[in-house]
Amino acid sequence: MILSRRLTVSLALAATVAPLAGWAQDAPIVIGYQLPLTGNTAQYGQDFKSAAEIALEKFNASGALPVPVEIIYEDSRSDAKEGVTIARKFVDNDDIVAVLGDFTSTVSMAAAQVYKKAGVVQLSQTASHPDFAKISEWQFRNITTQDQEGAVNAEWMHEKGIEKVAVIAEQTDWGQSVVKGFTTPFKDMGGEVVFEEFFNRGLADFRSIITKIDETNPDAVYTGFFYEDGAQFLKQMEQLGVDIPVYSTSAAYNDKLIELSGEAADGLFLTATFLPTREDAGVQEFVEEWKSLHDGAAPGQFPAQAYDAVNIMLEAVVRAYPDVTRESMREAVAATTDFPGVTGNTSFDENGEPLKELTKATVENGEFVEVK
Amino acid sequence: MSKQLLTKVGMVVLLFVVVPAVLMAFDRGYFYQIATIAAVFVLLAASLHLVTGVAGLLHLGHAAFYGIGAYVAALLGSELEIGFTLGLPAAGLAAAFVAFLVALPTMRLISIYFAVATLAIGQMLYLIFLNWVSVTKGPNGVLLFSGIDFFGFDIESEIGIYYVVTAIMALSVVVLYRLTNSYYGNALRSLREDDQCAAAMGINVTVLKMQAFVISAFFAGLAGALWAYTTGYISPNDFNFSQSILVLAMVVVGGLGSLPGAVIGALLLILLPEVLRDVGDTRNIFVGLVMFGAILFLPKGLFGEVSALRFARRILGSGWSGSADNREVGWE
Amino acid sequence: MLDPYYLQQLTIGLSLGMIYALMAIGFTLIFGVLNVVNFAHGEIYTIGAFAGLLMIATFGPPLLAVLLVVMAVGALAGFGLERLAFKPFRRFSDEASMKSRAMREATLMSSLAMSIVARESLELIFGSQFQSVDLSYLINKQIQLGPVTIVNGDLIIFAVALVMFLGLQWLLKYSTIGLSIRAVSNNPLGARYCGINTDRTIILTFVIGSVMGALAGILVGLYYGAIYPSMGFTPGIKAFVAMVMGGLSSIPGAVISAMILGITESMATSVVSSVWADMVAYAFLLITLVFFPQGLFGARRERV
Repeated sequence: MILSRRLTVSLALAATVAPLAGWAQDAPIVIGYQLPLTGNTAQYGQDFKSAAEIALEKFNASGALPVPVEIIYEDSRSDAKEGVTIARKFVDNDDIVAVLGDFTSTVSMAAAQVYKKAGVVQLSQTASHPDFAKISEWQFRNITTQDQEGAVNAEWMHEKGIEKVAVIAEQTDWGQSVVKGFTTPFKDMGGEVVFEEFFNRGLADFRSIITKIDETNPDAVYTGFFYEDGAQFLKQMEQLGVDIPVYSTSAAYNDKLIELSGEAADGLFLTATFLPTREDAGVQEFVEEWKSLHDGAAPGQFPAQAYDAVNIMLEAVVRAYPDVTRESMREAVAATTDFPGVTGNTSFDENGEPLKELTKATVENGEFVEVK
Repeated sequence: MSKQLLTKVGMVVLLFVVVPAVLMAFDRGYFYQIATIAAVFVLLAASLHLVTGVAGLLHLGHAAFYGIGAYVAALLGSELEIGFTLGLPAAGLAAAFVAFLVALPTMRLISIYFAVATLAIGQMLYLIFLNWVSVTKGPNGVLLFSGIDFFGFDIESEIGIYYVVTAIMALSVVVLYRLTNSYYGNALRSLREDDQCAAAMGINVTVLKMQAFVISAFFAGLAGALWAYTTGYISPNDFNFSQSILVLAMVVVGGLGSLPGAVIGALLLILLPEVLRDVGDTRNIFVGLVMFGAILFLPKGLFGEVSALRFARRILGSGWSGSADNREVGWE
Repeated sequence: MLDPYYLQQLTIGLSLGMIYALMAIGFTLIFGVLNVVNFAHGEIYTIGAFAGLLMIATFGPPLLAVLLVVMAVGALAGFGLERLAFKPFRRFSDEASMKSRAMREATLMSSLAMSIVARESLELIFGSQFQSVDLSYLINKQIQLGPVTIVNGDLIIFAVALVMFLGLQWLLKYSTIGLSIRAVSNNPLGARYCGINTDRTIILTFVIGSVMGALAGILVGLYYGAIYPSMGFTPGIKAFVAMVMGGLSSIPGAVISAMILGITESMATSVVSSVWADMVAYAFLLITLVFFPQGLFGARRERV
């Protein structure tokens, strides 16, 4: 049956292409993007969409290709059931040559089963589950794994002479990888992890946990949270008068963190791949464009990830052109080397994992600043 | 050909000839996916119907038993390489067993107390899925690479999967249907109408409730296993409180106490969000409004119990000759 | 002498319990009058918080004015909710319909549908993220009490909860309105035969309960600085649990149960991982149901 479908498609294609070869070339190249546009995580999905639109508009205006590229957005609500349905829908649409998304690892991985079977390249801007890129040769991501970020943080703390660390992270696949990615290298360096715990995402009250952390007397806390939980945690730390330096990952990198927690955010250390203040033409162009669309607010880590993911995909389209098929797109994405994105240079290793450089940052007087 | 036979044959033709023919004509994975999800949720709604619709016990934790089925199937498949043929019944039995254990202390409760107890049980099971990392893999979820191997035949094609899922669903629904439209079903209905009166008539209320609860969990477990085998990846969030509420909404919207109603409710609440996909971000508001409208204008559901019972009698025919005076059962 | 560590955890538990109690009071009041679960109470709570947020963002008035506006919005929301989701199902007033489980479940579902519509609309308008609140409005200024730390919000919430609780007790026990509320709760048909306007009484109960829900929403929102469309879900479940533990229609019972719930959670967190803290709360609930079926403080019921 699959054979017959292919046959039908190619016959149909041949029928269109043959008489109107010149015209058929103008048909846009279509990419699917599955992301949560409604539901509890809609804020992230809406940001991705906004970033993707900036990237796409710039690309189509640049005239890098004689044909326009289109992105079809579908709402997954961060629900695995919906994610799989969308994946099926994308696979059915023979115009779609590649797919971006989803946001959470759960949904990305459920959808990945479909893309693996159908042979469509899937590039997620954020799925950080350790096994995501290993599902098949069709899965890629451009977010750093926690093995990388944890090692940088561990090294950083070690240099500062921090020996006892408390670790907390959200109870998700991502949080699990944050803890593992940090504790393994930190213990290898001779450090001690005095406290390790997870919390459920969206927990309103961290005070019990903070009191517990304080009781173990660590030199620092290493945290795996997104900016909303982060803001709650930092505010309640200050509220309880607990004064322990906090280290975190790039997921907390968002101006909203400072907006929500005010002075409590000062003194937070984190690693990041994207700094809106970086003196770089590409970064500044994106930041300006973003600010003009969002009342002057600077973009955080996640929109930047999406922006890069879309650009990596577009670059792959250029590389594959004019023979843009699902197969050629897979090769083109895999061939990405040193892509100069706003989150740093991206290359993919043989598993589809990105290799990136991380910068260190801290919050001073209500602003993120790079630590040299 | 009698009318009853005609309806039966009609349904079989619809499920196994018309729908597959349409699916194959379009040959779109998207439609297959929706058909599969719809089948899973029809089974789920039908199983909840037994407890909530027939026995009248508000069950707020049904998704957890669905989750047990899914986890058992997925873990057996990924850890021990036990396939579909054994995994499916194992999933149902495991869910039924857990239901039996939790039912032991709680089945004496009635009305809202029962509802809250099931809420607590559902939430506790969900917390176990999420936080017992060493067994359930916690938030990482379980990846299940083996597809459906049906007595040694690997079923790979979309249409094959559709047939397997639909056949199991249809068989289960028929079992539930016969169960609820029998004297046993009437005993369950008596619990709903007046359990003290039923007890006075010699019905062992607690045992009966427990049976309904366990049987319902068994079918929910089957539904969970089907979901696990067809998606290949499960994680705790597929089985949280909102899913329980979704299934409950299906049963209520379709018409409490009516199995065809539950089936229609499930189809409606699965298909409607898909149909409304083009509406964009507002589609869930529409789903809420449709739910509200359905309850407001059809308080007895889209396919209420009375019409359902009439329908059942027509189909089951002679099995129901017992009701000599043709009086309707149920409320009205 | 208690270890300051446990003392601190106990304090946190008390403040958590107070927050649950704030929500449980209105919830229990509404349950009591109709004997139906109002799934949309969590959304009233959210609407209250958003109304306060809008006030703060546009006018920046003193906190007291914000609270008054929030109460007015809560009253309006409660009125609308009753009209839309509950009133239509009381069109049959005969005895059979009023006792019918189908009617009760219909209102359960209609309030659920309303809550979906309200939440999704809020998400559509504001987005689902935490809203930014003017930080000077937050009620989390630190106060040191010997070895434990509390914030001014704890005191404000305690005061509001106390006023609400005592006011409501007074209203129910000593006023005509309270008498009619109790009458309708006890026997709606009987109340009607005695010349009580049941419809008006039910609306009034919804309005009072929703004012309290909305007030709870803005206070908790400012306490944590977290206002977002799905904020009502968790406190809603906790209030439900507290209500059942307290014996369904007993407001003092619900308040005490809410406190127990809060303390249990924070104490559990001090021993096991916080992800299991909810487990303790639910286990507690099940134990209550099995061993004290009429609730910890409920009036004696015929059977459960």
